[in-house]
Amino acid sequence: MNYFELLTLAMPETILVIAALAVLAADLLVMREEPVRHRFVVAAAISCVGCCAGLFWMFNIEQHASVLNGMLVVDPLTRLMKAALLALTVFTVLVSVERDFTAHVGEYCALILLATIGMMFLVSSEELLMIFLSLELTSLSLYILAAFNKRELKSAEAALKYFLFGGTAAAFALYGLSLIYGLSGATNLREIAKALSGQALDPLLICAIVMTVIGFGFKVAAVPFHLWAPDAYQGAPTPSAAFIASGSKVASFFIFAKVMMLGFAGVEGSAVWRGMISGWVPAIALLAALSMIFGNLAAIAQKNVKRLLAYSAIAHAGYALLGVLTDNAQGVASLVYYVITYALTVLGAFGVVAVVEEFSGDSQFGNFAGLARRAPCLAFCMMIFMLSLAGIPPLAGFFGKFYLFAAAVGSESTNLGLLWLVILAVAMSAVSLYYYLQVLKQIYVAEAPASASTARPSLFTQGVVAVLAAAVVVLGCAPNLLLGRLLEAIKVAGLY
Amino acid sequence: MQDVLFYCFAALTILCGFMVVANPWSRNPVTSAMFLVLTIVSLAGLFTLLHAFFLAAVQVLVYAGAVMVLFLFVIMLLDLKEEARRKIRGFGMISGGIAVAAVFGIIFKTLVFDTPRLSAGLSAPNLEGVTKPLGETLFTRYLLPFEILSVLLLVAMVGVILLSKRDLR
Amino acid sequence: MTAGLEHYLVVSAILFCLGLLGVILRRNLLIIYMSLELMLNAANLAFVALSRFNNNLDGQIMVFFIITVAAAEVAVGLALIVALYRKRQTAHVEDLTLMKL
Repeated sequence: MNYFELLTLAMPETILVIAALAVLAADLLVMREEPVRHRFVVAAAISCVGCCAGLFWMFNIEQHASVLNGMLVVDPLTRLMKAALLALTVFTVLVSVERDFTAHVGEYCALILLATIGMMFLVSSEELLMIFLSLELTSLSLYILAAFNKRELKSAEAALKYFLFGGTAAAFALYGLSLIYGLSGATNLREIAKALSGQALDPLLICAIVMTVIGFGFKVAAVPFHLWAPDAYQGAPTPSAAFIASGSKVASFFIFAKVMMLGFAGVEGSAVWRGMISGWVPAIALLAALSMIFGNLAAIAQKNVKRLLAYSAIAHAGYALLGVLTDNAQGVASLVYYVITYALTVLGAFGVVAVVEEFSGDSQFGNFAGLARRAPCLAFCMMIFMLSLAGIPPLAGFFGKFYLFAAAVGSESTNLGLLWLVILAVAMSAVSLYYYLQVLKQIYVAEAPASASTARPSLFTQGVVAVLAAAVVVLGCAPNLLLGRLLEAIKVAGLY
Repeated sequence: MQDVLFYCFAALTILCGFMVVANPWSRNPVTSAMFLVLTIVSLAGLFTLLHAFFLAAVQVLVYAGAVMVLFLFVIMLLDLKEEARRKIRGFGMISGGIAVAAVFGIIFKTLVFDTPRLSAGLSAPNLEGVTKPLGETLFTRYLLPFEILSVLLLVAMVGVILLSKRDLR
Repeated sequence: MTAGLEHYLVVSAILFCLGLLGVILRRNLLIIYMSLELMLNAANLAFVALSRFNNNLDGQIMVFFIITVAAAEVAVGLALIVALYRKRQTAHVEDLTLMKL
């Protein structure tokens, strides 16, 4: 392999690095004296151009390769993931543009791009070192993004909590990875699976698996490793929180699934009711069940929309883990479809929250009262997002859940299989409808307080949020747009 | 000779590690930082015993040199004195201690009962962690991670400047 | 008894658990960071030992990267502490109570 080949394979990421440097240079050298708003528009424009150039490159130059011992895998599946991540990044930047949480807009956009680079490398690697490194790149950028609002003490606090939990998780994951490396002598996921497959499931391997699951469990905020999520979501500036909740979730879930399915192929075990066999599947089944129960129940008690979205994110992590433990092509496809549509939905919801916060200071329920009269378009979009999160047809959230549950039920035919988890998930989705409707009740039924600001949201933000809402509806009505491609890509990628 | 050195360094590592975390005489972060330096140096000794000479050097240079200076710098900058007066909650201490003891018990048990299998298929160790092969691997097979590391350092740099700079407004 | 792989791994396990203990029990953010460093160092020791006994260099390369990442992480973490301290003269976990858990 020569360096030129490597460069062309990593071109989308390289383009983003260049864009990030360009944003920094433009903001710090040229635009220094301009008002913040202008600088933000320029920085966002450069970032979006960078992302679009990356997308353009990926879809015009068909590449299929796995180089450097699986460190960089370029195939239709990773291409699809990267495209989704780039789209989410563009929307995050667009949602941020009119916000007023920092004067350091160049650094903000650059860090968003750098975090995206981490996520893109993350989804396209099958090698332990690359996974660790890109995970750290992503997390480090996200810690900083969470602390971006230097006027608010809450922001620093959120970032610190996120950092402490993230650091501990990284240490756990690393120790687990070291044991895996020791047991297999390899760092490539497929080679690890090959080395492990002949062996019986011994205690040391279980240790390694559990530690890795703990590490990744933190990243996807599954119970009992979720403690950082509510505070990080609430304290971080809303656009950063949106990015933490959308892009990083997509990438983490994908790599979590990949590590488990590729690296630990052969030591799955089974989570079948009354027929558990130890392996990684029952461990994840436990996380999934706990996350669904705890996330949904805790969300009911929330009085702040951002915290509510955090607990709902924990619950959704529980549903998505069903896709991981289904462990077949259907499972991967439904998982990816679910997390992508979830990310779009939650990004839009955070966009609405950001506008409300701007008008009334924070995101308490009361501040949403009467939003339907003040900003009918945003209120309608918020309704779409909430109903999609709750899983009401014909929105994307419904089909996401439907495919996930169908894949989980279909995977194990014996002894009721994973039906117990699916029943739990359906029951918990019903519970979740209650708190999503609470938000909608505030928006549509409650009277706006007399002191409510009468300012109108800008057309631009309304437009961005409306596009996200439209995407949620379209993906819900025509899931095959994404799902068909996914299944095909998984087949080509040879994941199964 | 090697074994004696191993036991010395291992004991020193664990002892100093303990003093970092739970120094019974002092709650001062500076003391902890000093013991962390000792831990790291004795770890470097263990690395040398494992023939990882380059890493031992890097460990001392980067950790004991750069990271610890950073720690001490921040400790001095923030002037954290009232520290020592906090008292520790009994319940949290006990439950935390039990949890960690359980984790340790599990790892220890699996290591002791399982390493024969771990090391069963291995030949006699003859790997030399000298600079040349490491450098060659680093710039051929591990070129891509190396480049990503530079991006990561850029992130850290931007972040640190941004976070620790005083805002003018 | 000659020092074999398991000896090194036991040392690293002890170090890891000491670090974890510090993260859970200590209330001072700086000491928590130091404990995090202990945990990472434990993983480093495990990697070096396993690399030696697996007879391939991958583990040592990994350690090289981990050391660098840890340094970057500490820098960012300390900057976060400084940012917090600017707003509120504290470096204690107990004072991070603006948001209810």
